[in-house]
Amino acid sequence: MLRACRRLFVTFLLVLFFTPFTQASEKSAQDSEGAPIDVVGKVADHHELAVLGYHIPLPRIMLVDGEWYFYGSTEGAVESGEFVEEDGALVPASGAHITLDMSVTSHLMYVWFGLILTLWITIAMARKYKRGTGRKTEPKGWFQNMFEIVFVFIRDDVAKTNIPDGKYRKFVPYLFTVFIGITFMNLFGLLPWGATATADITVTAVLAAFTFIITQWNGSKDHWEHVFWFPGVPGWMRIILTPIEIIGLFTKPFALAVRLFANMLSGKIMIICILGLIFIFAEIFGNIAGIGMSLFAVPLTVGLYVLKAFVGILQAYIFTLLSAVFIGMAAEEHSHEEGVEAHA
Amino acid sequence: MGLLAAGIGAGIAAVGAGVGIGMIGKGAVESIARQPEASGDIRGAMILTAALIEGVALIGAIVCILLALGIGQ
Repeated sequence: MLRACRRLFVTFLLVLFFTPFTQASEKSAQDSEGAPIDVVGKVADHHELAVLGYHIPLPRIMLVDGEWYFYGSTEGAVESGEFVEEDGALVPASGAHITLDMSVTSHLMYVWFGLILTLWITIAMARKYKRGTGRKTEPKGWFQNMFEIVFVFIRDDVAKTNIPDGKYRKFVPYLFTVFIGITFMNLFGLLPWGATATADITVTAVLAAFTFIITQWNGSKDHWEHVFWFPGVPGWMRIILTPIEIIGLFTKPFALAVRLFANMLSGKIMIICILGLIFIFAEIFGNIAGIGMSLFAVPLTVGLYVLKAFVGILQAYIFTLLSAVFIGMAAEEHSHEEGVEAHA
Repeated sequence: MGLLAAGIGAGIAAVGAGVGIGMIGKGAVESIARQPEASGDIRGAMILTAALIEGVALIGAIVCILLALGIGQ
């Protein structure tokens, strides 16, 4: 079984290694010379899934004036005559506006891939523990050992240290899911043709919204007292403090979303820009300079790739850690005899 | 002018974040040298604080990207 898996993996790697060349030669034959590199298009969301150079169209689901339209692809929507394509976006032919666009996009697909992987791993491991492996005996196999290290790390170092005693158990499943899920979503961006779902502000905003809702839902009485009626300060100070505290409730998840988004986006853009230097040098100073630049740019890109893999895991950790810190801050109950410093 | 503003803004954001994270690193290394047995806790606090600073700097960087791409004009 393991041998078969390994063989399949090696074959897959070989396929991945060879297809870029065939794709590149086809592409360069098709494309006109000197077309600029579309940096934003590379990191933007698409209505198709690129796998091995083929573009698999994704379904379009749209609500226009109270009526739902379903199509298998963007072409299908255009062919039906109900929609026309303008600047890469679909517009209803009747001139109406799209009320709600529920189309499946590439970033959404990668979110689902990440969640399916997370579900698969956690359910498989939960079954193993239920059978007794790891509880009555020691964990078996490298996979369970690795899983246990990550899980114990999240439980002890992230949840237990930041969320007050007796309450942290409730939040471990969420924190663990978020950590594993974001790690997968970040690392999918390193695969050829893969898209980083977390390099999309909508994805990270949804993740941050989860943290926000969980934080406020589990907020203790002290948490709300701090927001609306800050203890231990002169009365008139509360006119200033209450708006600040209310804004603070929303800036925390906002910063959480933007941090993950900007980190993942900047990594992608940086790699594209450094590779783009080769073509810029070739354009300005001739082909020799382009080749010379590639000697510098390609190793740098490899280094950046390794850095991106590290940053992907680190940002997932930071997202989880900050979620735990925010939940812990809101769930904390403390006596007011500690003095004013304790409230700072 | 938008491009110029974006470039200058990104540079200032990078300077601010660099100074801030550098000071965190300095503090963390000094305290680890003084108390090596507490290195685990210090590292955790260091990453947390660096992430908070980074968040502010990245919000600046995102504003600069929006400026450079001319979104919102």
